[in-house]
Amino acid sequence: MRKSRLATGIVAVAVLAGTAACSAGSSTDDDGKLTFMFRGGEDEKAAYQEAIDRFSEETGVEVEVIVTDADQYATKLQAAISGNNVPDVFYIEQASLQSYVTSGVLLDITTYVEDSGVDLDNIWEYGVDSYRFDGKLQGTPDGALYGLPKDVGPFAMGYNKTMLEQEGIELPDEDEPLTWDEWLDILKDVTKDTDGDGELDQWGTGLNVQWNMQGFAWSNGADWTNEDKTQVTVDTPEMAEAMQFVADLTTKHEVSPSAEQAATLDTYQRWMEGELAFFPVGPWDVPVYNELDFEYDLMPFPAGSTGEPATWIGSLGIGVSGTTAMPEEAAKLVTYLSADETAQQTLVDAGIQVPNLKDVATEWAAEEDAEPANRQEFLEIIEEYGRPMPAATTYGAAWYDEMWTNIQPVIDGKQTAAEYLEEVQPRMQQLLDEANTQAEQAAAANAGAEG
Amino acid sequence: MAQASRLHRAEHRWALAFVAAPVLGFLFFTAYPVGFALYTSLTRWNGLGRMQFVGLDNYVRLFGDQYFWQTLGNTVFYMIGIPVGLALSLLLAIGMNRAIPLRSVLRTVYYIPVISSLAAIAILWQWAYNGDFGLVNQALSLVGIEGPNWLADTTWAKPAIVVMMIWKGLGYSMILYLAAIQSVPRSLYEAAELDGAGAWQKFWTITFPMVRPVTFFLVVTNIIGGSQIFTEINIMTPTGGPEYATASSVFQIWRQAFKYQDMGYGTAMAIMLGVLILVITLVQFQLNRRNSFVID
Repeated sequence: MRKSRLATGIVAVAVLAGTAACSAGSSTDDDGKLTFMFRGGEDEKAAYQEAIDRFSEETGVEVEVIVTDADQYATKLQAAISGNNVPDVFYIEQASLQSYVTSGVLLDITTYVEDSGVDLDNIWEYGVDSYRFDGKLQGTPDGALYGLPKDVGPFAMGYNKTMLEQEGIELPDEDEPLTWDEWLDILKDVTKDTDGDGELDQWGTGLNVQWNMQGFAWSNGADWTNEDKTQVTVDTPEMAEAMQFVADLTTKHEVSPSAEQAATLDTYQRWMEGELAFFPVGPWDVPVYNELDFEYDLMPFPAGSTGEPATWIGSLGIGVSGTTAMPEEAAKLVTYLSADETAQQTLVDAGIQVPNLKDVATEWAAEEDAEPANRQEFLEIIEEYGRPMPAATTYGAAWYDEMWTNIQPVIDGKQTAAEYLEEVQPRMQQLLDEANTQAEQAAAANAGAEG
Repeated sequence: MAQASRLHRAEHRWALAFVAAPVLGFLFFTAYPVGFALYTSLTRWNGLGRMQFVGLDNYVRLFGDQYFWQTLGNTVFYMIGIPVGLALSLLLAIGMNRAIPLRSVLRTVYYIPVISSLAAIAILWQWAYNGDFGLVNQALSLVGIEGPNWLADTTWAKPAIVVMMIWKGLGYSMILYLAAIQSVPRSLYEAAELDGAGAWQKFWTITFPMVRPVTFFLVVTNIIGGSQIFTEINIMTPTGGPEYATASSVFQIWRQAFKYQDMGYGTAMAIMLGVLILVITLVQFQLNRRNSFVID
């Protein structure tokens, strides 16, 4: 009896002590090893491991890899940072760059990158500039460098070549974008019941307003904010027209699976089943789409009133911890992953991204028998008509997310886009104001702390 | 004598050690975090950098924040599942108290959801609620009803989640009720029978009052647990449902604190929720005391 009580006491104390001890410890100590935290699926993990192994071989720097699922990454990184356990090198999202910089989580790697002899001009400007921050604005070409692009993700429009050929429709031109009307005509032509059971089983497209309407808005001359990101400008006729156009594809023109049909099998699956003629394609989709039973290719986004196509480019960066014990090695790993030709080739061969280096990319686009054939479209988006997501360079995305929270009535055709945008603009404005105040205060507080 | 005092001292030390464990635990894992949260709620903090004291700003902002009120309303809505769930589980407990065939099998069946992982259950129900393939709508279509796309419909999303919560909690309440019913003295029923009481009268005047302490316990714990509903919501409707129809208070707190890195504001909401739960619980204790009775 006595013994067991003693044992219980010891166990209880040990448990307490153990939990307390867990919070100590840090990877930023000088153990001669780098920790690299990133996210991605199996393919990506394997490709990165290969590149990292080569890095270790060449430089003699050991790298410990922590990889998470895409949706857990942000939470885990946040936990690591709060616990003072920041990995030496890690992925950063464009939208969190500013708060990380003002909190001292990210290291200014400008000089390290310059010293490394990397030719920054050979990396996409968009990719590099996304991680520049001058204390006020992000994305400016002369800001300090807080990371290099892991990749850039141009979001292109794709079409089902096999279907269009079967339907006897002229394939979209690679250089001349379709107008919305021309595009809509094609959508109407291909939407039909192919097996005669009285139900549609082939549609023009199936767009998701939240992820696909940006290009339509920009190409129609609309934008989410003014240039210095202080005014929300979604309540314009141009924006309303673009949003209405996308919503009407389902509710009015019925060239896109209805909400019920989309609930049964979402449009991404339907595209892969070959039921849709047009669907957006990102570089990350390519390995999967290349295995499909039909041929597809890329084209410019249909153009609105400006006559110019538009779409967004995503990007993820690789940054260095502000408290790393090995800044030089860490920065070297960043430049290696982002800009080394062999490393890039490994990642590109795995089919997971567009090359970061312009010369490698040009070769890649010109490859014979490339799939999709018009890879050049990705490069044109990066260099010519792609833009960052509206919230990519603001302090947090709450203001932008607000746009989509109550969007359902517009998608269902119960409210017009114009009415909705009128309603949502003040709420977005308020959130953007708060974000901007926070950005200023955070910058001021941290500047004060350092000074 | 010396023997006794040594024993006494030894026991004393042990007592202190045993008292120290929970006290230290409370200080480290409850008092300190709560104090820290109170302070955090008065700051602007992104969870990374320096905290900036802003006084009651976060609380002021709360009152004008439509999503705070909307999610609080949603959370209250989920509570309608509590009385329904308790009534059903009491009914079940009475049923299970009878000598019916396969009694222990049935008891186990009703208890399985309680011990299952909440995440797994949420995913299962998400499938069951699918507008086209879902079991729920398939079952409804057998009787000629065309069900809505439950989780994507502003009207039906919340009731759908309530039904799931009731189902999940049934077994636990049933077991507690069963134990309470079995401890009701037989003599009370016998006396009532002699007086000519019917089944309904026996239930209403004996069983129901006798299980009151259990009902009270379940109501209190269910309200406390229900106000913190999060996992189901986050798994079944990751964006907070159509027009934010399913987002609960904790979902909103989590979103503010971790998605928008507004720890100060998120914490202020959490404190408000905590205070609300405390007040409701105190009121319940008060009501319970007023209505309680003792059998001699």
